[in-house]
Amino acid sequence: MSALRAGISLAFFFLLFGIQESAISLIHFPVAGFSLYLAVAIALIAFEDGNAAIITGFIAGLVLDLSPTSNGPFGQWALILTLVGYIFTSNRESIADLTSSPLTFVLFVTFGVSIALVTYILFGTLLGEHNGSLSRDFYIVLANAFWTLIITPIFLPALSRLRKLTLTSKERM
Amino acid sequence: MARGSGNRSRLLLIILLVTSLFFITLDLRGVSLTKGSRSVAQTTLAPVQRTVSDIFAPVGRFFNDIKNFGSIKNQLTAAEKANDQLKSDLIQAEDTKGQLAQLKGVLDLAGRGKYQVVAARVIARGSAASFSQTITIDQGSAGGIKTDMSVISANGLVGLVKNVTSSTAIVQLISDPSFKVGVRIAKSQSIGVLQGEGTNTFSLQLLDPAGTINVGDSLLTNGSDNNHPFVPGVPVGQVTWVDHTTSTLTQSGDVKSYANLNNLGIVSVILSAPTAAPAKALVPTPQPTVTIYVTAQPTPVATGIPVPGAAVTPSASPTPSPTPSKKK
Repeated sequence: MSALRAGISLAFFFLLFGIQESAISLIHFPVAGFSLYLAVAIALIAFEDGNAAIITGFIAGLVLDLSPTSNGPFGQWALILTLVGYIFTSNRESIADLTSSPLTFVLFVTFGVSIALVTYILFGTLLGEHNGSLSRDFYIVLANAFWTLIITPIFLPALSRLRKLTLTSKERM
Repeated sequence: MARGSGNRSRLLLIILLVTSLFFITLDLRGVSLTKGSRSVAQTTLAPVQRTVSDIFAPVGRFFNDIKNFGSIKNQLTAAEKANDQLKSDLIQAEDTKGQLAQLKGVLDLAGRGKYQVVAARVIARGSAASFSQTITIDQGSAGGIKTDMSVISANGLVGLVKNVTSSTAIVQLISDPSFKVGVRIAKSQSIGVLQGEGTNTFSLQLLDPAGTINVGDSLLTNGSDNNHPFVPGVPVGQVTWVDHTTSTLTQSGDVKSYANLNNLGIVSVILSAPTAAPAKALVPTPQPTVTIYVTAQPTPVATGIPVPGAAVTPSASPTPSPTPSKKK
């Protein structure tokens, strides 16, 4: 992953973070909430290969850690999304080419969002955070998965096109 | 080649994980760099949140309205009839009226409790990226707000100021799982601890083994030293269920909040309060029988609506009146 693309990713995640914190957070989703930021971040991680996925996860996590409403320590999301990036990149080949199968891709993103949230809860519990009862957390993770499943297909084509624009000719090959 | 690439990936992973753990350690040790970065993010986001809130607040309430459609169907039918007469009114005017009603309610409560308050508008709710229950208000340290100040709505306690920047503040709602407040039952004066559970109901645990809880009991804040973080006598909620099992030394139960946490538009932050608790006088009743005199009011804007943010010291005169009347 080139420094230019890392910079573009950072700027894009800042923009997305602003949208999440100022616009998406205003929407009262029935059955818990939806994190557009997390869904897009996981989708971008899934698009990438090898080191790029890990670096994208780290950048996405670092920006998400800036959230003033986050109850976890700074760096928690960076740690989790870096791990998610690594898990994705080390298991990608066994799932086949995701970009050729949009449905599989959406399911993969949904699964990734759920895994990230569950890891966040588990890691938070280890650090002594109060994230509520197990049933409530399960409900929130499930609701997030539901909304991710519904909303991801809407933004996925645009995200795919946007990503292709940032690729260098070498990366396109 | 593949092995070399795999090794590089693992090395990169280890470097980034160690960096993340380094940040976590710094944060947990209270290094101001990490705390400051969130504060900067909040300050930067505040103007955007305020603008977006102004424009998209009706859109944000869309899902909430759908959710509550069944329960308000009858009210909706009546409202549709009334709506015919209000066709000429602008949507913006209705929104402003709603904000005024909430502001008035908050000032009424503040007036009865003789609290010095600063009114604020809710500009964002907690991010779905975290499990905390928070709101962001458009008033900060410039308006006199500090951390650990009580926040109220028209009906009672909403939460506690958690973070403050110059122009915004983040309020931890009473529904947050890590929120705890000392309360007393208005009728029996038994004291206990109320804890948020992430939902609209909270758990109450009495501290007095001889104390009893009854369904319908009203709960008020017990207050803290020097009124921080909690001022005494703020209505919190009503007991909806009592645990009659004998497995614990003291009684416990479920409580429903007086404040509607899903529909917060205008709230007030209590800057100071009298040392004596106003006791049961603040518990919401359908028809208040007190006369309220608000001696100071927020600066009116062009629309004639008080501006949230102006510090107000409403003086209450709980004089019994033959007919309920309100005067500004």
